[in-house]
Amino acid sequence: MKKQNNKLGWLFTSPYLLFTLIFFALPLGWSLWLAVTDWNMMSPTIRFVGIQNFVAALYNPAVQSAFFVTYKFLLLFVPLAVAMSMGIALLVNGLPKLKGLYMVAFFLPYLSSGVVTSLIVKGLLSYNGAFNTFLRAKLGLDIDWLGNPTTAIFVVSFMIAWKMSGYYGLILISGLSSINTEIYEAAELDGSSRWTTFWRITFPMLYPSLFTVLILAVGISFGIFTEVYQLTGGGPNFATNTWQMEIYNQAFVNLKSGYASAIALISSVVTFASIGVIRKLLEKWGERNGWS
Amino acid sequence: MMKRKNRLLMVVAVTFLFVTLSACGNGQKNSKDSSEKTTITFWTAPNPTQLKYWKKMAANFEKANKNIKVEVSQMKESPSSEATIQSAVASKTAPTLSENINRSFAAQLADSKAILPFNKEDTFSKIVTNRKMTESIKNWQFSDKNQYVLPLYSNPILFGWRLDVLSELGYSEPPKTYSELLELGKKLKAKYPNKVLWAKADGDLADPTAWMRWFDFFPLYDAASGGANFIENNKLVADDKAGKAVFNLMSDLQKDKLLLTSKSTDPFENKVSVMIDLGPWTFPNWKEKYPELKFGENYTVTTPVVPDAMKDKAEISTYADAKGIVLYAQASDQEQAAAMKFLDFVFGDEKNDLAFLETTSLIPARDDATENPTFAKYFEENPEMEVYAENVKNAVPAMDNAEYNDLQQILGEKGWVPVVRGESKPDTAWKDMKNALKGALQ
Amino acid sequence: MVGHKKKSGSLALRYVITTFVMLIMIFPFLYLVLHSFAAWDQVDRQIIPTKFSLRSWTWLFGNSSTAAEAPWIGAFIHTIIVATIATFLMLFFAMMVAYALAKINFKGKKAVNNLLLFQMFFPAIILLIPQFLMVSKVGLLDSYSGMIIPTMISLWAIFMYTNFFKAIPDTLIEAARLDGANDWTILLKVVLPMSRSITTVIFLFLYTDRWTNLLWDMIVSKSDSTVTLNVLISQMFGPYATYPGPMYAASVVLTLPLILLFLLFSKQFQKGMQFALK
Repeated sequence: MKKQNNKLGWLFTSPYLLFTLIFFALPLGWSLWLAVTDWNMMSPTIRFVGIQNFVAALYNPAVQSAFFVTYKFLLLFVPLAVAMSMGIALLVNGLPKLKGLYMVAFFLPYLSSGVVTSLIVKGLLSYNGAFNTFLRAKLGLDIDWLGNPTTAIFVVSFMIAWKMSGYYGLILISGLSSINTEIYEAAELDGSSRWTTFWRITFPMLYPSLFTVLILAVGISFGIFTEVYQLTGGGPNFATNTWQMEIYNQAFVNLKSGYASAIALISSVVTFASIGVIRKLLEKWGERNGWS
Repeated sequence: MMKRKNRLLMVVAVTFLFVTLSACGNGQKNSKDSSEKTTITFWTAPNPTQLKYWKKMAANFEKANKNIKVEVSQMKESPSSEATIQSAVASKTAPTLSENINRSFAAQLADSKAILPFNKEDTFSKIVTNRKMTESIKNWQFSDKNQYVLPLYSNPILFGWRLDVLSELGYSEPPKTYSELLELGKKLKAKYPNKVLWAKADGDLADPTAWMRWFDFFPLYDAASGGANFIENNKLVADDKAGKAVFNLMSDLQKDKLLLTSKSTDPFENKVSVMIDLGPWTFPNWKEKYPELKFGENYTVTTPVVPDAMKDKAEISTYADAKGIVLYAQASDQEQAAAMKFLDFVFGDEKNDLAFLETTSLIPARDDATENPTFAKYFEENPEMEVYAENVKNAVPAMDNAEYNDLQQILGEKGWVPVVRGESKPDTAWKDMKNALKGALQ
Repeated sequence: MVGHKKKSGSLALRYVITTFVMLIMIFPFLYLVLHSFAAWDQVDRQIIPTKFSLRSWTWLFGNSSTAAEAPWIGAFIHTIIVATIATFLMLFFAMMVAYALAKINFKGKKAVNNLLLFQMFFPAIILLIPQFLMVSKVGLLDSYSGMIIPTMISLWAIFMYTNFFKAIPDTLIEAARLDGANDWTILLKVVLPMSRSITTVIFLFLYTDRWTNLLWDMIVSKSDSTVTLNVLISQMFGPYATYPGPMYAASVVLTLPLILLFLLFSKQFQKGMQFALK
């Protein structure tokens, strides 16, 4: 057995522990306190209001939207990101040459800033931009991409899926490359179709990587901010109003820090619980099928 | 021994890092105090030309006053300049001076003691006399008899028209009334199904953001009501007939697909729309980006369209985008004195107002803007600007209510936007909006 | 023979498809660069511009009849300072903490480990408002430290390093210890050189995230003297809406350094990713 060295251990972990104390424990406590006050950042007096903030938050249509919008993002973004990254992984994995080059190229979107992506999307989706002019002229389609609730949420999901899919693709590629090629050869000899091979062999062996991707993507859907802030401001009519957007608006636009803290608390509980449940379900799903 | 020494070294290193880092932050502030110079900060409107003008003024001023430094920066617009100022006041990072303050926002800032009354400063009356503002300053007095705002400019919001497209449709001048407008719309759609009548310059017609209504609803409402108040003394006094007329017009335009509710790049400039709400600040951008746009040749500027019954009315009201400068309460005495010196320097010379007019294309808030010979040549060369100067007298400023932001948000969400989107009937929307406003005003 | 032919044909097709998909994926970057050099009447009007000019670039850096010079260069420098210092602190502290969690046997290690895992899954948004209030209370608003200090520990980096360090054989470390090296030297002289590729991966991810941070930098930076490039572009989104060309040019300035950095380290990155993804 290694000998214990308590002092050294605590010393080496002290930056983290100190940081956690100052920037995690303290803010957490403060946040809980703020949530039961009406403080607006400017006023010198802080009044205790009990659960009033929480009640107000539950009746606020913007907060209700944030609750549902997050799941809508989940249902749109996660499948989109998984499909795109899976496509990339399957395309790149079998290539005998230049595999690294392609992997690098597909990863590049991850380096983009949401602000810049929003700028490009705004330009591309402008009424008199090339894309919409084309749609109107050739297909007779006149779509108000960011003004329509359904398309707006789709556009934002797609932007984030574009950014993340190269990264997720890398994770899936590493899963794919760990599969022994002999299994494929055996399957080919058995005469099973590509489709069956994928579902019978590739998919189960890929499941651990896929699980990672799914968990990461689910996490992302609960923290969308930049694209929404920049492009839609949470609109139209709160259709893309995420938790982060609502908390930002209440705290830094309306300066209601007490109310915003209450919303943040609700959002944290909802997020923590949702991710926990989704995780458990995915694990169960994997186990039942014997994939993990 | 060795071990202990190294451990010590590490503790020192970590502490050192913490200390230097926190020193960085404090260091910046200390260095400001230790220098002999007084530094004042001036926030300009989020408009490139205004930033340019104030940077020039600051440089000129610094040349004459070596011991004062004027840091000019653009007010952030995240998500609105008002919110930026509020959060700056809350976090004690407000500037010494800022422009871009309208009357209602000033009322709100004065309520929370965030800004100082100018009339306590001796220099103020000197500025008022020098700059010939004796008349117009009266409208800016607050209910506590104080003057919190030094008015800088007043712009009537007018409408621009594409004369080239109009002439293709057989028009030699823009329509004046609602029915004429609707008729023009029918002809437009028949010839150019992809063009619209009205697309907004900044954002879209269906954006519920509060300040957007200054540039769509209020010009039309002020025109239709002859400049009647919308909210007065914290009560809804809106002219029902005028308001419903405006909503009905928008609903008709929406039905004929004559409104653009999606974002578009410079729609008027690119002939996507025939009409646009237009402030004079657009002209410098046009000179740079669209030099082909010439007043009287391919575009013109008029007052808003009016209901048919007002066809022969000569003077038509519109909304006034009037803004001024305020002095923040967070400034030290020394900074306040420096700030007043700066304002005195800028407004002591008419040439600076001319430079303001030339750089920003905003109408200086002077009683003598149209008569003063200093500006005569400018208006001669810029006839489009003269239209604006002439209409200043018919322009109605923002509502006098500290809650204007919430109120206009309601106006947008419950009234304007549902009509423009075709989601509710104009009369219903007007009623819903009124009820919501009444609720908010209680 | 026949089978072979068919295979090489389908392989060529795969390359064509992969290349095509790749071009679509990196198209936004091409769009950005092309439109920053496009003639102004073509910006956003054509997918691929055909007329080019430097006007957007010269406009951005002050050659405009309407706009004053915005602090683009300053913002670029602020971004470099903030991102670099913060990332190096994150790496440094992560290595230290991870070394303890992986290689030092101490009482309470399990508790620290659990705390770390708990925090990683904890929604950080709830901490935003009090963290902002703390920073403003101690006078760090509108300073580099205000942007750096609250972001100088990365839980993810600690987690990644811990996993990597665990894979380093204990015998190596014991051998170094027997040679009289203390843990500090072991970390710097033995462990660090072995973790070059994983450090590259962690560095690139952290640097990208810090470089393009919006929410925190936006609420802490209050003036042109600290504003970062990403925040500045975000703030100019509205005011410069009619000047998309210069905005694309500014976006190129923001994005290009990250891409160059990434390409520079791409070999190490690929190597590191192979471990990171296990």
